[in-house]
Amino acid sequence: MTNYIIALVLGIFFGLALQKAGLTKYHKIVNVFRFTDFAVLKFMMTALIVSMTGLYTLKWMGVITFPSVPATYVAGNLIGGLIFGVGMAFSGYCPGTCVAGAGEGKLDYLIPGFLGFTTGAAIYGLIYPSVFPKISAVANVGSAIIPDLWNLNAALVIIFFTLLSLLLFYLIDRNRMQRRDKMAQ
Amino acid sequence: MDWLKEQFRKEEWSPYVAGSLLGIVGILAVLLSDSLLGASGAFENLAGAIGQVVAPQLFDNLYFNYVMRPEITWSGVLLIGVFFGGALGAWSSRTWKIRMNSDEQWKQVFGASWPKRWLFAFLGAIVLEIGAGIAGGCTSGLAISGGMLLAPAAFIFIGAMFASGIATAWLVYGRRF
Repeated sequence: MTNYIIALVLGIFFGLALQKAGLTKYHKIVNVFRFTDFAVLKFMMTALIVSMTGLYTLKWMGVITFPSVPATYVAGNLIGGLIFGVGMAFSGYCPGTCVAGAGEGKLDYLIPGFLGFTTGAAIYGLIYPSVFPKISAVANVGSAIIPDLWNLNAALVIIFFTLLSLLLFYLIDRNRMQRRDKMAQ
Repeated sequence: MDWLKEQFRKEEWSPYVAGSLLGIVGILAVLLSDSLLGASGAFENLAGAIGQVVAPQLFDNLYFNYVMRPEITWSGVLLIGVFFGGALGAWSSRTWKIRMNSDEQWKQVFGASWPKRWLFAFLGAIVLEIGAGIAGGCTSGLAISGGMLLAPAAFIFIGAMFASGIATAWLVYGRRF
């Protein structure tokens, strides 16, 4: 029960973060693909920097152990990601932002979104036995993490990722990377 | 305190501030519940629950019986919270409103017709969920949750998602890209 209350409270803050970042808007999602608004990229990379730093610090302090790490099977991660990007550019949402957008009273999120996700989930579940074993057999390293896989120091990986992100933020905010929107009036 | 209230009520926050909040939520999920954030999974549990009522024989398969069982999971409850979090955000900036077609840019490019928006959104949502299934998670369950643990899968997924998102937007927008 306590776990469910934690889930509910964390969900509220998760939805709030998505909504306040503007990610519950069709144009925010699509415009990162048009290089005219980088909010999605900044949001994701900031979340990653904060969470990877916090989690690895807590792990080193012995406060936490990691839950099961999402599995790496290169062909599936890659093909799934390619399919996912098409859906994102068409709908202007991803499953999380769609739910938060639905909470804002946007019926073009609530109804076609929820119906579409449930339909897609049914289709995937039904084709799973014939698709997943084949696709996950290609370059499958299981629940590996980059530091173990390539024998790198995790702190160095995090510092590298952070510096790379900061460089990207700098380039974007200095307007050298962001295109002007042709449609903006 | 007033300053804080004023910041909270802003319609949009800096993506760095909102992103940091998400990062903290991601840490707390592991610390307090030993769980990872996710969104696409709950729709799989839901699809199984509906499917096993509507077409029990068809949905009596490996996936819905063992991999994603029809049940209320931690991430299902999380998603209920996400819904109310979106509502709270909109309410705080006084932008909560029932809308059929919510985006001005969409209307500018594809017209004001809401059935067209709903059709594109519906088809897009189907594609999103199938993609998330094959990849092993979505933007939250794989990109953020996997990335923060430094799982290679997350970075492969993020790269692929941006590559095909850019290509699709380019095709859809044509000379307006």
